[in-house]
Formats: sequence, structure tokens, C-alpha cells
Amino acid sequence: MRLSHITKRFGANLAVDDVSLDFAPGEIVGLVGENGAGKTTLMSIAAGELAADEGTIEDRVAVGVVHQHFLLVSEFTIAENLALAMWGRDAEAIIRESGIELRDVHRRVADLSVGEKAKLELIKAIARHPRVLILDEPTSVLAPTEARELFDVMRRLAASGTTVIFISHKIPEVLEVATRIVVMRRGRIVVDGGRMSAAELAEKMVERPIPENRRRAGGGPAGGPPALRLRGFDVHPGEIVAIIGVAGNGQSELALSLRDSLRGRVAHIPEDRARDGLVAEMTIAENIALAEPRWRPRAAAERAAALIERFNIRAQSPLQRAGSLSGGNQQKVILARELERHPEIIVAAEPTRGLDIEATSFVHDELRAAATRGAAILLITSDLDEAFALGDAIHVIYRGTLSPRLTPEEAAVRAPQLMAGVA
Amino acid sequence: MRARQFLIAVAAAFSAIALLALSGLAFGHGDLLSILISGSVGSKFALEGTLLKSVPLLLTGISVAIAFRAGVWNIGGEGQFLAGAMGAFLGARYGMIAALAASLIAGALWASIASALRLWRNAPEVLTTILLNFIAIHLLGYAVNGPLQEASGKYPQSDLASASLPVLGELHAGIALAIVAAIAAWFLLYRTAEGLRLRASGFNRSAAKWAGVNVDAQLVRAMAISGAMAGLAGGIELLGVTHRLFERFAAGYGYAGIAVALLAQLHPLGTIASSFFFGALTTGAGELQRTAGISSTVATFGQAIVILVTIVFTRRKNA
Repeated sequence: MRLSHITKRFGANLAVDDVSLDFAPGEIVGLVGENGAGKTTLMSIAAGELAADEGTIEDRVAVGVVHQHFLLVSEFTIAENLALAMWGRDAEAIIRESGIELRDVHRRVADLSVGEKAKLELIKAIARHPRVLILDEPTSVLAPTEARELFDVMRRLAASGTTVIFISHKIPEVLEVATRIVVMRRGRIVVDGGRMSAAELAEKMVERPIPENRRRAGGGPAGGPPALRLRGFDVHPGEIVAIIGVAGNGQSELALSLRDSLRGRVAHIPEDRARDGLVAEMTIAENIALAEPRWRPRAAAERAAALIERFNIRAQSPLQRAGSLSGGNQQKVILARELERHPEIIVAAEPTRGLDIEATSFVHDELRAAATRGAAILLITSDLDEAFALGDAIHVIYRGTLSPRLTPEEAAVRAPQLMAGVA
Repeated sequence: MRARQFLIAVAAAFSAIALLALSGLAFGHGDLLSILISGSVGSKFALEGTLLKSVPLLLTGISVAIAFRAGVWNIGGEGQFLAGAMGAFLGARYGMIAALAASLIAGALWASIASALRLWRNAPEVLTTILLNFIAIHLLGYAVNGPLQEASGKYPQSDLASASLPVLGELHAGIALAIVAAIAAWFLLYRTAEGLRLRASGFNRSAAKWAGVNVDAQLVRAMAISGAMAGLAGGIELLGVTHRLFERFAAGYGYAGIAVALLAQLHPLGTIASSFFFGALTTGAGELQRTAGISSTVATFGQAIVILVTIVFTRRKNA
């Protein structure tokens, strides 16, 4: 199968940028890259689940996909789920043929372990005898022994002529099983080749120009005790500490636990803006007043109007529904609400995700100004540029554990390995 | 937005009336609509009947509106209504004011069982409040056959309550109380910080939480206020209309409150109009039964149409 000059846009965002790739039978291709590099989008196009904006697919063959998220009916048994996929065939025969061990087909899927569910998904995909099998982050939920078992299955399939594409950001695993490694970054293929060392691969994955230093003049902690002290890190008044890492390594849990444990004048900028940021059905004025002790409709509307002006929010009126604003303007409303409390501590999770350049630099300026006023800021971000642009100090989070405190200069050197867990 | 909600409400009310009239035609009762109207608002007597029916509906409607606005699915108006009536009966020994206070407290406490279960074991209040209805119904049944049965021991009912509401002709002071309650509920929801937080929790629990709102406290508060309103409805019904407890005391007022609140688009002031509409439907249906021999359950039919039309045309997020 051959993909040529594939391009895919989501709005203004170029997810896959003129990618050409071909696969030979019997290969195990490790497709690696950071979150948002375009791996999953490219594979969805290969599988025919998504149409490319430009480019063609030649010699199309049967493609099977095992998705990161399970597509199983949890109230059904294993046998019933297999019947949904392959009506009329004996469940035990399907499993035997796949070469994967999964006992007792009359158990309900809800009662299976995560690893067993992953196996069932794999069995479903193999049962259709695909020529190309795509596995999207299959090991993220598996125990090491289960992962080893999966690799054996992959090798057996490859030996029988199937092309196996293995999407992952776990470098050691890719190095162990892949016969060919393709690295994607920002929608493009940057490496396509055979063996390489873990350090080399890590560097290719997150390689970027040395970040320009846009830190505040005189930035960094004021004297005195830290404002925020947790196991593994301190944040002092007047300083911005950035936590970086590949998504899913405990960032959300950290932000959530800080929300539920910190008391006093604390501002939170939630990661999931659409769900947690604003009450879409209520007005801008109402959303801003949520953090206030009092609610006087007229006074609140006047205050909101002033903040709309000051934060340059594109809104017709303070009485406009918050849900009708664009993402960037919603984020500005959140920022206005949270920063107007004059917080001592600010926990900002992915504060510029999905924002355009103008809105991003506005958010950055506001965070810097808050730090200058003496706030202790914890910035949790998967955008390294943001971390380097704002952070006075940087920690890398990997599997829920924080690295020691790094200066931006140290982080520029060590972050790629730390983020990939190979340091 | 507001205009659209108003239109939906009016359309729902009219389609209920139109369908009733049409079905009347279909079954050979062409005069159904005129009987319905004259029987509900056509005379001083009919109008008084309608107003008396509207009072408990208004209060249970407010009860549902406050709870639903806060995202708390209190379906237990019926049980809270009965708890309020029993509370009022017991409190009546100490006077009318004490009886009303007891009805508020009893309704709030009965509803709060559901919030306690929700906070303790995350038990969905939709289920627990309904189940509490059944418990309240049987508790009342036990009371009027046992400890609260009339001294003569003849019927399964209580003696007359020791206090009652002041009357104005055929009407009682509960009407004024209910309207004050509607205005107070509006003030609470739209003019206080607590109301703002209550509504925010109802629209988006998660966002409210991130904004620093204690959403569990909102749940407890909304449930208690909602229960107090339903309890007050029961207390007023006892002190102003029936004056004694008996089995089947609630007669569906708790559930009808859901229809009242939905037709009012969950707006406390809107419940004033919508409770009057349903009150008129109920008294009109009573007249239908007496003069045309049509079962008064057509009122329930009308309620169902209103709820269906309101739900179908209200814009909701996709599930």
C-alpha cells in the first residue's frame, strides 16, 4: 500500500502536511511522535476512516485498526462482542485462530481486565485478516508481560505477511519490536529508517530550535518562603514554574488535586476549556461574577463591560451568552475572572491550547504580569515553546513523577529524554 | 431566547386545549371546550375553584423549578407534600404560624434524605425521591389508621387540625403566601449570589466547580428549598382546604408540579401563570365529569400533552 502526498487540515490547523509513505508486507513499522504530531490522523486516512484533503492512496488493501479507546459493548460477553464483529462464526474458533490467549468467552466484557479488553479488540481486528494492521497506542494500558505477549503476536502476523503499524510514544517498546521506524513531527515525516539509539530517537521526536528567551527581565523568585509547596516542587511568589510532559502522564490529575486541595486566593485555569471553563448557558457577566461573593446584576454587567474592554474580548455585550464566544475569547473571559481575584497562586493548565497567535501572546503577557505582581504561577503545559517562553524553572512529568527542578537551559538539553522516559 | 421559551410555553398550552377539543369532537362531545372554559373560569364559583387548585400547583411548581434549575432532579414533590401536611397537622397545636413553619421544615427534611443518600453513596436522587414518595404515602396511611386517626375511630382520617388559614370568602390566605413564595424564589435565583451559584451548578457542574463553587452545598441547599416549597404546599392544602389528613391526601399535586414547572420553562414567575392554567384544566375537567360524563382524567391527558410539546421543542444539548 502506498500513501502519496497526503494533506489534512482541521480548520486552520495542518494536521498532516504532504506526507508520502509506503508499506511492504511483513514489516513492523513503529510510528512515533509527540501528541498532535499527526500520527493518528495519518493512520485514520490510511484506514479509510477519514478522507484526505489532498493526496491519493494507491494499491489499497484491507486495513484493520485497533483504536486507543475500546469499541466494545461492556454489557455483552466476549462471545457476543465477537458475534457483533463476525456474525455466524464460533467465538472460540476465532480466538484460537488469532493465536491470542483469552479464556472463557462467556465472561462479560465489563468484568474483564483492561489488558483482556485490549486483547479482545486485537482478536476482532485480526479475525478479518487485514493485510495492514494498525495498532494505536496498544500498550498504554497493558502490563509489561501483556505487552510482551502482544509483541509476539505482532511478530507472528508480520511473519505471515501482514504489515503491522505500531503507533506509540514509548521509545523502548518501539525499539524492541519495530523493523522500521517513522518519526512524525508537526504533520511531517522527519525520519524514516531502521535502527537507532534511544537517545537519537528521543531527540528526533521532540527536536526543536533552541527556544528564544522571552522571560521577564528580573524574573524569578522573590525572597522568602514558597507560596506553593508540594512533594517534589516549590513555587515562590513572583515565579513561574512550568511542568512539561507528554499528555497523560499525570498532568490532569495534578491540576485536579490542586483544585480540590488549595485554599485561599487561588486562581485555576482548567485544561478542558469546553467542559470546565465557563457555563456556556450563562452570560459573560454571570460567569465572571461566579467567583464573587455578591451578585448585583447591574454592577456585575458594568464590571464585565470594563473587563471586556481591558482584556480586549470580542463580545457584543456583557449579557451575551458565554457559549457563543470563540475559544480564544472564552479563554480571555476565564482569565479575566481568575486574575481579577488578585490571586496569590495561579494554576494554569494548557492555558493557550487551541488559541491563535494573538490570543496566545495575550495570555502569556497576562501571566507574566501576574507573576510580576507577585503571584506564584504553576504552568502545566504540553507546549514546550510555552514552557520555555514563560518558565523560570521547569519540571518534567513522566508517569506521574516529577523530575528535579531544572533551569530552562538544563531543560533544553534534558527535556526530550526525560519526557520519553529514557533518561 | 426568552421570546422562544415564551412561544414554546404558549404553543404547548394551546396544543393541549386544541387536542382536547378535537378529541371531544371525535367522540361526539362538541361542547367539550366550552364546558371546560365555563367550568374553570366561567363563573365566580368556578374561578374560586380554579384558584384553590392553583395554590398547591404553584408551590409544587416552584419546588420543581428551583430543583431543576440547580440540576437536582427532585421527583419527590408528592412525598414532600405529604411530609409537609403531616408536619402542619402536628404543628397546628401551637398555632397557624407554627403549623406553616412545621410544613416547611418537614418538607425540607424529607427531601434532604435524598441529598444525604446522594452525598453518602452517590445514590441518584431521581430514584431516591420517587421511592421516598411511596414511603411517605404509606407513612400517612399508617398515621391516619393509627396514631393520628380521629378520636371516634370511624374512618381512616384524622380529626380536624387545631389551626387553619384565615379565609377571604371561599378563598384562603394560602394564595397570597404562594405568590410571595414565587417572587421570593425568583429573587433567590436571579438576584442573589447563592442563586447564581445554584444555576451555574445546574447548567454545568464541572465548570461551576472549577470556578470555585461548592457544588455539593448547592445540591443540599436546592433540595432543601425545593422540599420546603412542596412541604408548604401540603401544609397550605391541609390548613386551608381539607383541614384533616386522610389517605390519598396528595392526589398527584407533587407530580403535577413537574408539568407546571416545565410549562413555565423553570421560571418561578412563569409558574404563577402555568399553575393557573393547570388549575383551570383540573377544575374544568371536574365540570366535564359532572355535566358530560367525561372522566376527569382528561386533565392528566392535557398535562401529558403540555409536557411532551415543551420537551420536544426545547433546545437541548445533544446527548
